[in-house]
Amino acid sequence: MAIIDIRNVSVEFPVYNLSARSFKKRFIRMATGGAVVEDAHQHVVVNALKDITLTARDGDRIGLVGHNGSGKSTFLRLLSKIYEPTTGDIHIDGNISPLLDIMQGIEAEFTGYENIITRGTVLGLSRKQIDDRVQDITEFSGLGDYLSMPIRTYSSGMRVRLAFAISTSIKPDILLIDEVFGAGDANFMDKARTRMITLLQQSSIVVMATHSDELIREFCNKVLLLDGGHIKYFGDVEEAMKLYRGEK
Amino acid sequence: MDSSLNIDQNTLSPAATIPKRDRKTLAYQDFAQGLSQWRIWLLLAYQDIKLRYRRSILGPFWITLSMAITVYSMGFLYAHLFKIDMRQYYPFLVAGMLAWSLISTVIIELTDTFIVYDGLIKQIKLPYSLYIHRVAARNIIIFFHNLLVMIPVLVIFHDSIKVNFYTLLLIPNLLLIYINIFTFGMILAIIGARYRDISQIIKSLIQVAFFVTPVMWNPIVLPLQYQKMIHLNPFYIFVELLRAPLIGAPNSLSIIAIALFITVIGTSICALMFARYRGRIIYWL
Repeated sequence: MAIIDIRNVSVEFPVYNLSARSFKKRFIRMATGGAVVEDAHQHVVVNALKDITLTARDGDRIGLVGHNGSGKSTFLRLLSKIYEPTTGDIHIDGNISPLLDIMQGIEAEFTGYENIITRGTVLGLSRKQIDDRVQDITEFSGLGDYLSMPIRTYSSGMRVRLAFAISTSIKPDILLIDEVFGAGDANFMDKARTRMITLLQQSSIVVMATHSDELIREFCNKVLLLDGGHIKYFGDVEEAMKLYRGEK
Repeated sequence: MDSSLNIDQNTLSPAATIPKRDRKTLAYQDFAQGLSQWRIWLLLAYQDIKLRYRRSILGPFWITLSMAITVYSMGFLYAHLFKIDMRQYYPFLVAGMLAWSLISTVIIELTDTFIVYDGLIKQIKLPYSLYIHRVAARNIIIFFHNLLVMIPVLVIFHDSIKVNFYTLLLIPNLLLIYINIFTFGMILAIIGARYRDISQIIKSLIQVAFFVTPVMWNPIVLPLQYQKMIHLNPFYIFVELLRAPLIGAPNSLSIIAIALFITVIGTSICALMFARYRGRIIYWL
């Protein structure tokens, strides 16, 4: 039983290194759509998320849409428990697997195997669980003997394949995705797609940020449309897409 | 447009209110999880070292070798400069330098902990204390490599220093030092994440501290009335906790008492600060 329960949550970022405030303030507002205000201590604060309230339960496949800077990534990090709300309450049940930046933490000097072990451990797997998955990761990434070579000898496509294979070898209750489709060459993309679909089906709740309408129409039963940190719409897919595309 | 919000209210979640978890509980959970996930930080610490010496023939034993070169040559130089008896001074200096290098490096590195690992912190939720353990454990492992430097000294100067019961005190003393590394490391890492000048200030202070702390010089050269004042220097306390066992000497009770006192103070400040600022750290990175 996984559940995401968010009540009136706001996330504010303090920005400490603004010297020429007035100019930058205007610039940031223009560029991000997020309102920039000053807090009590005279720090410039960016309101990344404002008064978000929503509930997600088992079976929810939520597509996350919005313009650049509308708060999609911040929202995913909020769900990953990385950001804690400045105000409001959040309650999340179930183990979470964030596929936010899968290349992060891949160490170039280490071999593929070593990276599998490190990454697996960091993601909370025991040594045995990792050993069980090595076979699967090897097969899926198609890297074969390359796994005993340092990552720096890999092409960028191979790196993505490895990172993708490791990150998707974990079966979470709640899956958070930030634009990880589209990894590697055409052949691999097909495989990646199949694997993603399996993973999507196995997870209780999925929240997926993407700019691809097809993906959302194919996989999601709900859409969360963010605009300047606000929820503009949460619910029916077609309705949301109309709103999102219509305003463009 | 607001129809979506109405849908939500019809199916309002089972729990009417979200149970509040206060800051203290969350801070405590972070500490507890940090300890229970020792596999992660120990592996990361070990890999940090492996990474640093990858593709070198000696590997991590470069740590030992470079330390040996530094302290052995310093020992000769200063014993002659100060015209001190080599048999007393040499082991004192070597043991003191081992202690100093652990304490100084760990302080400098810990101040930058959250800044250095911000990529990982922003990508996956791990307890903050885990990162402190990672840096602390890495430096303890390096310290154990450095300990090998003592072996030739113990052999050559076997008539002036001995391996005895006091040597065993290294283990509890290291444990006490680890607690302090953790608590003060957390304090420094929190401040360091918020105020980026801190790590520069710490670096300069450590250099000054090296000269005012009896590492290169023995406190017995001081006039009697100043010898007590040395106890006000926390660096001296912690250097002494490691140095004394290494040269087979006992720690004076006052040193142990002060060390325990510092531990209590540090733990309290650390707990208070961490409970207060834990949730903010991520926004400072």
